[in-house]
Amino acid sequence: MKKTGRILAAMLAVVLALGTFAGCSQQGTQKSSLETIKQNGKIKVGVFSDKPPFGYVDAQGKNQGFDVYIAKRFAKDLLGDENKVEFVLVEAASRVEYLQSGKVDLIMANFTVTDERKEKVDFANPYMKVALGVVSPDGSQITDVSQLKGKKLIVNKGTTAETYFTKNYPDIELLKYDQNTEAFQALKDGRGAALAHDNTLLFAWARENSGYTVGVSSLGEQDTIAPAVKKGDKELLDWVNNELTALGKENFIHEAYDATLKPAYGDSISADDVVIEGGKIQ
Amino acid sequence: MASSGINVIFEGSNLLRLLNGLLVTARIALVSVLISGVLGIVLGIVMTSKWKAVRSVCRVYLEAVRIIPILVWLFIFYFTLNLELGGEVVSIMVFSLWGTAEMGDIVRGAVGSLPKHQRESGAALGLTNVQIYRYVIIPQTVRRLLPAAINLATRMIKTTSLVVLIGVVEVLKVGQQIIERSILEVPTASFWIYGFIFLLYFAVCYPVSLLSKRLERKWQS
Amino acid sequence: MEKDILLEIKQLHKSYDDRTVLDGIDLQVHKGEVVVILGPSGCGKSTLLRCINGLEPIQSGEISLDGQSISSAGTQWHLVRQKIGMVFQSYDLFPHITILENILLGPLKVQKRSREEARRQAETLLERIGLLDRKNAYPRQLSGGQKQRVAIVRALCMNPEVMLFDEVTAALDPEMVREVLDVMLGLAKQGMTMVIVTHEMGFARAVADKVVFIDEGKIVEESNAELFFTDPKTDRAKQFLNIFNFDEEKG
Repeated sequence: MKKTGRILAAMLAVVLALGTFAGCSQQGTQKSSLETIKQNGKIKVGVFSDKPPFGYVDAQGKNQGFDVYIAKRFAKDLLGDENKVEFVLVEAASRVEYLQSGKVDLIMANFTVTDERKEKVDFANPYMKVALGVVSPDGSQITDVSQLKGKKLIVNKGTTAETYFTKNYPDIELLKYDQNTEAFQALKDGRGAALAHDNTLLFAWARENSGYTVGVSSLGEQDTIAPAVKKGDKELLDWVNNELTALGKENFIHEAYDATLKPAYGDSISADDVVIEGGKIQ
Repeated sequence: MASSGINVIFEGSNLLRLLNGLLVTARIALVSVLISGVLGIVLGIVMTSKWKAVRSVCRVYLEAVRIIPILVWLFIFYFTLNLELGGEVVSIMVFSLWGTAEMGDIVRGAVGSLPKHQRESGAALGLTNVQIYRYVIIPQTVRRLLPAAINLATRMIKTTSLVVLIGVVEVLKVGQQIIERSILEVPTASFWIYGFIFLLYFAVCYPVSLLSKRLERKWQS
Repeated sequence: MEKDILLEIKQLHKSYDDRTVLDGIDLQVHKGEVVVILGPSGCGKSTLLRCINGLEPIQSGEISLDGQSISSAGTQWHLVRQKIGMVFQSYDLFPHITILENILLGPLKVQKRSREEARRQAETLLERIGLLDRKNAYPRQLSGGQKQRVAIVRALCMNPEVMLFDEVTAALDPEMVREVLDVMLGLAKQGMTMVIVTHEMGFARAVADKVVFIDEGKIVEESNAELFFTDPKTDRAKQFLNIFNFDEEKG
């Protein structure tokens, strides 16, 4: 009896939810998105608030970071003032929903382009790329994956690094940890010869921990990071792509890198390992 | 090292931001707990109704709220329904929806556990139905359900950290922002910030727990 | 000495589903009269009391109080019940308020009397049963006998025209029975109209003007109290009384 009640309730809820979903897709605005943005005098951009150096809030409560830097420039070129941007603080888990519901015009929150996400939002051309990297102590630096044969490599459980090495280098022994802090501590204790993770994370870590260098800075499949707009918002999408092309001519993404990422990554890393200029991978 | 960690709390406007975050948390929790308390009592009484149809409708509401995670409700109200409301208002709506359902079930149980003759002796005195609830049933029910209600309230306070997913920056999120911003330079930042947030929570929750303990003791002696 | 009829019941039928509990009860209670209802367990005595003040709906028949029907569909029970005080078997004080507030709840909220005036009456009544010094205590601080005496006072403070007592001593420890019965005897002396369901035979004999003996939902015998106890007319009443005599002999 109780069970039937629960099933009934669940069904009702699903019907309710589906109904509202359907209702929403119908009422999608037909008005030109660029026009609306210009009318409002501001563009709403979803950024992270706790992922330095890409998007974070500083001690004064102001939005900062690589994504923020670029978004401000978008506002300047679209609306004539870099302050005509409203930063909406988003979480990784709800980035897609912010776009779908029109709560933001643009997501620039370290949004990695994936096939699954492409079905729900439209990605513009990329402005950044990430790959795996390998960090190791300076004394016995690993500069090529072949040097890892017969040695132990530290990875985090469930990351791309684990999948990549299990699949492509089954003969390298992996030491797996749950937490970032545990993994880095293991490297410091010398339990493994090197540690593999997202290269951007390693750059920042190596900068703060002298004696360690990211010897292999780009490995495996490259993922790209791009601004995203609501599915079907072709007008804004085209504008962003044109803007990225134009910015490429003045090497603006490099400027953004120098201002926001370089202080975190240090001089040993080449900007070209991370940024994509003009929306196209060179 | 330790001193640089504690300094993170007072750097820039961090302290103010933390307190603002606490205010957001407290506002969402307090308003929805109050709404849930009042509406939950009404719902609980309705759930003891003689009519099966009324009870069934309440049951469906309660089960729907329980089956579907709060996070999904937040998404449905904020993104899917896409009302022209701020995240905080939506949070209060969803938390009240949840709290009312749970509170209703608690009240239903407490009303049901009252001996039948309490209602009858009220009736025998000539009290109307409304007066019986007002002077006899509700006051006794409130005493019986206090422990369960306090438990629900603390669950609601703890769950407020979910609202960050619809863009509401509450105290834990502010803490995270500060920690992530300073963790590379100040590795102990998380210890100090979370410690400070713990104290903030304590400062808010301890008086509530003291009050409930005192009430319980007073009503039981 | 013929007095006015205060409460009149005609052909009362009451059943739960298909089980008949009261089967054509006729009863008259005069002003100032004390009627004791006797009968074996489950004969319908308590149900009869509960029908009189509307706690149980009836299937057919008529009940009237002061010549006014109180068994019709539109009866304003909360008005009628102000005239009918009732005390139950279970200690039915409200546990969350003090003794005094228990007594004042009806006068203040139902009768809308002034607090000052109602409090004076409540205190007088409490004094009479020797519990004035406990007026600010909570029910759980009182013994069972004290609680039942307060329950009686609570009903009295509404100034009812008739009092119904439903086995008020049945749940009490034996040593507390007397103090409750004494209060009821006192009331009877003052001329209060009372309908009492009890198993205390000695008390019944002492207090009753009239005894009504019910068995299987019907009134089997109805007579003057002295007559009923000394010379019951029906076999069933004789049998019933014998059981109690036997019990008393055994002690």
